[in-house]
Amino acid sequence: MKAYAQPIKKLISELGKLPGIGEKTAARLANYILRSTEDDVKKLAESIIEVKSKIKLCRICLNLTEEETCHICHDTTRDQEVICVVEDPDALAAIEESGGFRGTYHVLHGVLAPLDGIGPDNLRLGELVRRINEGHVKEIIIATNTNVQGETTALLLTRMFKEKNIKLTRIAMGMPMGGDLKYIDKMTISKSLEFRRGM
Amino acid sequence: MAVRESYKTTGFVLRTLSYGESDLIVTFYSHDFGKLKGIAKGAKRSKKRFANVFEPFSLTNIIFTRKSRDMLAFIESCDIIDHYHAIRQDMEKTLIASYFIDLTDHFSPEGKKNEKVFQLLRDFLLMLGKEKASDATVRFFEMRLLKLTGFEPALEHCIVCKTPVTNGNSYYFHAGEGGIKCSACAQPQRYEQPISAGTVRTLLLGKDMDIEKIKLIALTDSLAAESRSILIGFIAHVLGREVKSLKVMEQVRKLCT
Repeated sequence: MKAYAQPIKKLISELGKLPGIGEKTAARLANYILRSTEDDVKKLAESIIEVKSKIKLCRICLNLTEEETCHICHDTTRDQEVICVVEDPDALAAIEESGGFRGTYHVLHGVLAPLDGIGPDNLRLGELVRRINEGHVKEIIIATNTNVQGETTALLLTRMFKEKNIKLTRIAMGMPMGGDLKYIDKMTISKSLEFRRGM
Repeated sequence: MAVRESYKTTGFVLRTLSYGESDLIVTFYSHDFGKLKGIAKGAKRSKKRFANVFEPFSLTNIIFTRKSRDMLAFIESCDIIDHYHAIRQDMEKTLIASYFIDLTDHFSPEGKKNEKVFQLLRDFLLMLGKEKASDATVRFFEMRLLKLTGFEPALEHCIVCKTPVTNGNSYYFHAGEGGIKCSACAQPQRYEQPISAGTVRTLLLGKDMDIEKIKLIALTDSLAAESRSILIGFIAHVLGREVKSLKVMEQVRKLCT
């Protein structure tokens, strides 16, 4: 990196801080930026600043949004009585992409991880409790991941809300679509048998 | 150039750490090598090669290669022996099992084989899966782990006058000195909480008692609180820090009661 002029060195070191980007890739990106038109570079810089200054959490579901409430909570055609609880905004985006859900969400922004010291105090549970206490919720779909941490979080939510008069459901576990039994691990197979359904 | 030798062992997954885009650094407590750290290449991306194997407290068969003892092992393959399904279905049990492996991780130096610690984990996870989760299980695990790793507190007699524990007397636990003092030797301050001879005896009993009998023991509230305060305080003193999984366990208990 010695050969580069100071401003380029600075750019390379900043880009190198991004995940998955080493010094060589950073240098390649820096060179690309250097060759781009001034207009393109301005757009890139502005979008980085914009994302940081405009994005906040939705007042209702804690999804990332630039308004007070996100577009999902704002949409009156969606079923406000069903809340799908997810770990993070990426999980919410994945469910939205599938197009199979027309209710609303709640983002926990984390998951119980005893070994990392992440407990209920570090999760965004308060907003969910408040929504449930308002009394309009009929069903909670717990869509945390199916690993130990996600399962423990699901058990915690079940424990917290089982006394309330709402339906608590958990996303299904088992065979993926297009899966081949020969190559599926034994735990997934045993879960798919446990959660089999009538035809 | 040193040749990579291939090894095979069984081990419990203690923790995983993300490394780069797709790799995981996994810490095991293995039967043949004690605490063992290895890198699982592509574990985050490939669901075929390492499907669901690196979940905390799972018991696995591991095949790994390494150039020398002080180098990170390269995990070739890893298969599940036991997921401890019954533990994973119960929040309280999952939190206790997480605490067990957290403690084992803290008290085990890397590369030091201790079959008894491996067996302790195996026995207690098996019991946790079958029986109801209780305070006694947690306390007796702590006592046994402290004993096996060489940090057993001196509870048989007063560490100053050496008088054996007698029923009816009160004792004071001194974490810094690693044992109990009788009320005559301790010169207790007003804020210090005495512990009963009954608590001391229970902990001594749990240290060596047959694992099958642990399920029969139910600690009274005061006994549970006293033994908890001794052992948690002592563990924090020995480690020089708080055990994170314990803190989480307490938060959950507070929320759910």
